[in-house]
Amino acid sequence: MRAQDVRQALSLAAPVMLAYASIGVPCGVMEAQVGFTPLMAFLFSATYYSGAGQFMVSNLWMAGTPLASIVLSVSLVTTRQLLYSAAFAPYLGKERRRRALGFAALVTDETFGVNLDRFSSADGWDLPRANVVNVASMLSWACANGVGAALGAVLSLPTDVMSFGMTAIFICLLVGQLKGAATALTCLAAALGVTACKLLGLDDVAIVVGAVAGVACGVAFGEVRDQ
Amino acid sequence: MNTRQILLLWAALLVVMLACRCLPLVLLRGRSLSPRVERALSLIPVAAFAALVANDLVRPDAYAQDPLLAMRALASALVVLLVARKSGSLVWCAVVGMGCYALLALAA
Repeated sequence: MRAQDVRQALSLAAPVMLAYASIGVPCGVMEAQVGFTPLMAFLFSATYYSGAGQFMVSNLWMAGTPLASIVLSVSLVTTRQLLYSAAFAPYLGKERRRRALGFAALVTDETFGVNLDRFSSADGWDLPRANVVNVASMLSWACANGVGAALGAVLSLPTDVMSFGMTAIFICLLVGQLKGAATALTCLAAALGVTACKLLGLDDVAIVVGAVAGVACGVAFGEVRDQ
Repeated sequence: MNTRQILLLWAALLVVMLACRCLPLVLLRGRSLSPRVERALSLIPVAAFAALVANDLVRPDAYAQDPLLAMRALASALVVLLVARKSGSLVWCAVVGMGCYALLALAA
């Protein structure tokens, strides 16, 4: 792999790393509050590696939720990763299974967006550069969590402001995906699906239900348009 | 949470996470897919991001307690939307979004 490729991958990973660094610290602070040591926070973040899931763990534990319920709730939110993994399948067909799995194990909401955008672009993208994006982002997240857990006792950060940074990244990635009527309809259906779930109190499955509803509507629209 | 509970939680969540991240790739990789499946896969990103944005912005319980929170989040999202259309930069969106949200929180 050339140094130029590493630089290109790191420049794409930089915004994600910046966001992870700013959001990872408050996440680590919250983990410290529920009993994680800095080393535990680092290792948990480097292996499990899920911002939404990790924030949920701390929030649910502080709210007095039983351990089994935490696992179930967080696992439901995790199921959106099934969609991400499926989306990469067409691009990794020729890679060795072990290498493809190594890449898949480190995909998050943000690195999914960055890498899929590159894989689907006319310029092309490859697994080594995608892995640089994944590993750099993961290290940024894990280190920030470790630092946050170390500073947990003395820091008080506005977690809502930090969390909105992640929302802003999602909005930017969404805007980049809106290309034509099918994607607009998919976006609308997904948002309505999430809203309906939230109004019904089904917060834990809102993301998955919304995303599946969006894809279903988009596919149906495409089928009707093609006929 | 004691160390044993943390390890138990960690192991359970890690197994689920790795299954979700890896199984679809293993099962679908290298197969020729039907046009319908390919179309569905191509729409996953926009559906997933729309769902994630909606999940962050639609919070009926919190907004019922604090209507200003809804205004703050939606106004900041609107600003980020404009920045995203203009620049397409993740960094600028994150910085402007957090700045706008923090300013509106201070103003409230």
